Amino acid sequence: MKIKHTLTFALLLAIIPASYAFAHKVIIFAWVEDGYIHTESSFGSKRKAKNATITVVDEKGLIVHKGMTDPEGNYSFKIPEKVDSDLLLKLDAGTAHQAQWRIPKNELVTVHSAKDTQAAMKEKEKLEESPSVFKIITGIVIIFLLAFAVKFLKRKTAKK
Amino acid sequence: MHISEGVLSGPVLASGAVIAMAGTAIGLKKIDYDRIVHVAILASAFFVASLIHVNIGPASVHLILNGIVGLLLGFAAIPAILTALLLQSIFFQYGGLTALGVNVIVMAVPAVLVHYIFLPLLGKSSTLTFAAGFLAGLFSILFSSLLLGLALWFTDENFFETSLVIISAHIPVMIIEGIVTGFCVTFLLKVYPEIIPVRKK
Repeated sequence: MKIKHTLTFALLLAIIPASYAFAHKVIIFAWVEDGYIHTESSFGSKRKAKNATITVVDEKGLIVHKGMTDPEGNYSFKIPEKVDSDLLLKLDAGTAHQAQWRIPKNELVTVHSAKDTQAAMKEKEKLEESPSVFKIITGIVIIFLLAFAVKFLKRKTAKK
Repeated sequence: MHISEGVLSGPVLASGAVIAMAGTAIGLKKIDYDRIVHVAILASAFFVASLIHVNIGPASVHLILNGIVGLLLGFAAIPAILTALLLQSIFFQYGGLTALGVNVIVMAVPAVLVHYIFLPLLGKSSTLTFAAGFLAGLFSILFSSLLLGLALWFTDENFFETSLVIISAHIPVMIIEGIVTGFCVTFLLKVYPEIIPVRKK
């Protein structure tokens, strides 16, 4: 039983950092340019989230803007006036598909360098990444290892 | 059909986690340990199935396969689905970890139900086997959609409206899953009949 507990604990430790999740791989990506906030929403890299609602709230949770994505999953709007906090853009693509993107307060006023844009684009690409074969195989291997571990433990306890 | 982080309220998430844990404990007790490989195979199939996407309207739906997993595993489907959902959540960010319990219930309860409803029909004739498989695939998705609607309703939304949206979004999946499950059980019965459990009398 001790091994089982250790395994469970190790698994929990491994997954806690991964708890940052966005709804069913629905993605919203936003950036600031020329006084406008531009957004792109999708399910993975190819499937655009069209006609999805975007709600913009400030730190206090007050809604400062609301809009809807076009057939390409894009939506742009002017930076709301008199906002003095980070903005949280919430995407609702229906049936529990939600995602969000935070725009820090300082990004709403400063002009972005090419480096910032590059870093942001990299982050976007990372979000859009399709599931890799490596991850799929690792998942299947883990399932079989767990199954055999359970069988082994059961046999051991049965012998006792 | 995965529910993500921040959609459901605390009490719903907590009750989901508790029920899922109880179900997993029952499932682990009921697993026939000589058939553990079958459990692993079906858990793997469930784990991979969600990567096959169909784009419908603004939503993106995917194969779920909880019907066949439940049909062939019964209560053992609960730990199998729990493991697969946990790994999907970690590797592909499908569904939030806090919503894991609710997601397990949404997928596994219909799976267990179809086991008891449709398993006795398997193997009687090839037409009946296909029909039982088709209905198992179809009903598991229908039940799951209703449970998902219920989970969202407990939080704050309109149950009827939400369920209707979810069910209508999943109609193509129900049909596809029905056909896939029907073919799978017919095929398995011919080439690998050991995977079809025989009801103990």
